[in-house]
Amino acid sequence: MTPGLPPIVRIFARFVPADLREPIAGDLAEEYAELRRHRGTLAATVWLWGQAARLAWAFRWERATRGRGLPPIGDELRSTSHMWDTIRQDVGFGFRMLRRQPGFAAVAIFALALGIGATTVIFSVVDAVLWRPLPYPAADRVMALAEQRPRESRWFGPVAPADFFDWRRDNKSFASMAALMVTAPSGAFNLTGAGEPERVKPLQVSPAFLAVIGVVPALGRDFLAEEEIDGREQVVLLSDGLWRRRFGADPSVVGRTISFNGNPFEIIGVLPPHFWWPSRPDVVVPLALDDHDRTLRAAHFLEVVGRLRDGVSPGQAREDLRLVGARLSQAYPAENANHAPNLRPLRDAFVGDVRPALLVLLGAVVFVMFIACANVATLLLARAASRQKELSVRRAVGATRSRVVQQMLTESLVVALAGGIAGLLVAAWGLAAFRTIVPAQFTTLPGIAAVGIDGRVLAAAFGLSALTGMIFGIVPALVASDSRIGTALTEEPRGSSGSVRAGRFRAALVVAELALSLVLLAGAALLIVSFRNLINVSPGFQPDQLVFTRLSLPGARYGQHARTVAFFDALYERLRAAPGLQRVGATTSLPFDGADSRLNLVIEHKTTAFPFPVRLHPRIVSTEYFQTMGIPLMRGRAFTGRDTDSTPNVVVINEAAARRYWPNEDPIGQRISLGATDDWRQIVGVVGDTRDEGLDAETDPAGYLPQHQVFLSLGNAFERTITVVARTTGDTASAASMLRTAVASIDPQLPIGLVRPMDELIGDSIAPRRLNFVLVSAFALVALVLTAAGLYGVMAYAVAQRTREIGVRMALGASRRQVLAMMFRQGGTMTAAGIGLGIAGALLLTRSMRSLLFGVSAADPAVYLGVSALLAAVAIIAVAVPSSRATRIDPLLALRE
Amino acid sequence: MSSADVSALGEFEQVVLLSILRLGDDAYAVSVRDEILRCTGRDVSRGSIYITLDRLETKGYLRSRLADPTPERGGRAKRYYALRPRAVEALRDSRRALVALWRGLEGVLGHA
Repeated sequence: MTPGLPPIVRIFARFVPADLREPIAGDLAEEYAELRRHRGTLAATVWLWGQAARLAWAFRWERATRGRGLPPIGDELRSTSHMWDTIRQDVGFGFRMLRRQPGFAAVAIFALALGIGATTVIFSVVDAVLWRPLPYPAADRVMALAEQRPRESRWFGPVAPADFFDWRRDNKSFASMAALMVTAPSGAFNLTGAGEPERVKPLQVSPAFLAVIGVVPALGRDFLAEEEIDGREQVVLLSDGLWRRRFGADPSVVGRTISFNGNPFEIIGVLPPHFWWPSRPDVVVPLALDDHDRTLRAAHFLEVVGRLRDGVSPGQAREDLRLVGARLSQAYPAENANHAPNLRPLRDAFVGDVRPALLVLLGAVVFVMFIACANVATLLLARAASRQKELSVRRAVGATRSRVVQQMLTESLVVALAGGIAGLLVAAWGLAAFRTIVPAQFTTLPGIAAVGIDGRVLAAAFGLSALTGMIFGIVPALVASDSRIGTALTEEPRGSSGSVRAGRFRAALVVAELALSLVLLAGAALLIVSFRNLINVSPGFQPDQLVFTRLSLPGARYGQHARTVAFFDALYERLRAAPGLQRVGATTSLPFDGADSRLNLVIEHKTTAFPFPVRLHPRIVSTEYFQTMGIPLMRGRAFTGRDTDSTPNVVVINEAAARRYWPNEDPIGQRISLGATDDWRQIVGVVGDTRDEGLDAETDPAGYLPQHQVFLSLGNAFERTITVVARTTGDTASAASMLRTAVASIDPQLPIGLVRPMDELIGDSIAPRRLNFVLVSAFALVALVLTAAGLYGVMAYAVAQRTREIGVRMALGASRRQVLAMMFRQGGTMTAAGIGLGIAGALLLTRSMRSLLFGVSAADPAVYLGVSALLAAVAIIAVAVPSSRATRIDPLLALRE
Repeated sequence: MSSADVSALGEFEQVVLLSILRLGDDAYAVSVRDEILRCTGRDVSRGSIYITLDRLETKGYLRSRLADPTPERGGRAKRYYALRPRAVEALRDSRRALVALWRGLEGVLGHA
């Protein structure tokens, strides 16, 4: 080296062809010496560094294209065009390599396609439901308000009308507030007047509703404030769907009158197509409460929404409401003690319980994605190792390490992108499948109808595949390119040491795969056990061979008790005579149907103060309801034909009520009054509990009232909805036609709702759980297969690597058993480590699933034992196959290799 | 060799070959670069000079020899370049092609 020429030149000289190194270094030294004379050592040194780096760069690109016919262009800009040439070359080479190793390509692309496909499906659902904004302007300013009863662990319950009116008047945080009627799916209107009678889904709202959600009618006008007054409410806004379907999108419908349940309603407008509400109503009508209902504080049946004033945060609104609620609790201690207003963003109210389920699914699918990536990485590593020789040759003839890394990365990116494209196909298919299996409850989720592969999802899928290719390609590439020039060429062809680092990395990947699989398996097993526990829960009645339908008696024609009673008596009479129907009953509140009203309960001669609210769900039922449903009578008697309006008032309670209010005494013979009125009824019987709100929900106290003794005035103000149930000996279709004929023969004007089997209603109630466990189990299965493949691949590779060593051992007298034991030690260590890590991870992560579990602890030892055993069994097979192959190695052949 | 069939020289390759011709016996990377700067005003990077020289040699247009090491170069040899006959032939071809293309265009483009 020239005195004064920094060693940097030597470093950069590595990038320069050997035969040019000396003259170039000489040229630089010459110019450097001159520059130092004129401009000083510092400037000269800086110049030298710069020149050395630029030269290194120039030659690096030149090197990248060595061996190709060079274009006869010598322009200085060629480095960029060279870059593209290089990439094109690498991509082409990558494809050729894939074609040459179709097995590797197929397994890698298959794994990635599964991972990316499943992730894309779940991501698009989660994105649509949880993340995309609701279809309202400034939707994040819209809050759902509810009443919380912390003592009963109810946080978002329906609101009593008087409370709503007080909140609306006293709050300072909301620009507008509106109440909605919680209508059961049964609460449909009979639309008559134009064509066939039809049942349409109404939404009853305060006039401010559209202002709250920021929707303006497409035609006509919004509700007026005075239209919430009883008697002024007979106006209606049509949904875009109903307007097009029933009225042929005729703009002149505004001003016309149609009839709901026999009452005339004026069409004041049509809602825009983008109007969306979870219940997907056909018509929106004002919620008009009469003077009595307006004062109710104990009957909770309203949903409330409000739009925050500008500049008011949800936290401030919460505080404001808390003060309003505290004043009400003081003013009305009987009804409002331990009640407080609560609020949450509207989306949370819509999404509710589905959020944890969706997030668990997203977590599960991300795990599958990780496992797929780890799998591809182990494949890439094994392949890189098997190409050690090729790479060594490349480096020996002058390829730089970064050049090799670049080429290997390009190859893994080619695999990843191919996987991404295949994954999109899987996703398209998966989304189509998802749409067909999506449970009915999910259709009320925001955005669920719009779930699909859009730009965001596409970007996510391809971003994911590119990232996979980069991250999981870089380590194999670095490891593979690490071999010093010549080592792999001179060393024995299948070095027993191979690359220790690569081996460790492969083992770590497999351990990670095993651990991730175990977490998924544990999650899936917990959901499966929960589901099994759930379907083993008795609903408290016999659901098989039971069908039901809903009838809405228009108030105009059934305004009198006698008229209603006569209708039902005639109906039961006819149905009892129908062949194929064993029993017929009716109720105002069918289990699993979602309707819920509660009345305050006064117990005669009872002075003990209960530490909880004393309430009952009132249910008006027909005489034969219990027998029809198969609800067992536990004590006393059921209703008989003698319980009429001329005999003493009676009530039958469920066991939950008996347990709660008469813990150590016999309730039979006691008298109670419902709804704080002086309406005393004697308890004549106790029936078994029915799981009214779902198989996983506790049963609340309920009281059954005989239909003949109570006017059907509960529920909706201007219609009486009742559910007719029938136990059949035939199929649903024939039961439906019998029901239809019977109703039409009594009142031809009365449409009946869909006739459905009771099984279906229970099935619907557990459908989200079923979907969850089916999907998570499917993911766990995919994870298991991928992990087994990964473990098998690593063991097979280890056997191939150690062929020579095994041959030596066997030649020196090692038995097959000893060799087998050696291989199993290697596989067993990885499996044990993976299972151990997996159990730790699962214990940590399944805690977040608690709300999805039923009758099983998140740390259930049997579940963990079971999945560990399953994973271990799969691991043993994955290790055994290549290992037994190892013991069949002929020592002579192995040594000669 | 396939590149022998490619008769057209790149513009920068012509520049380098012509500079070497002009320099005669004193053509090595630094002097070639200086000559290009002196004649055309183009300040060319060293890397492209080396690479182009290397390529032209590979293509058979140049031959090179190592001169004896000199002390001012820290005892390193200097690589001198000279044209092979086919480079002269290729330059003639290029010139003929260019002159033919230029002919009659003086009115449009003016005299340089």
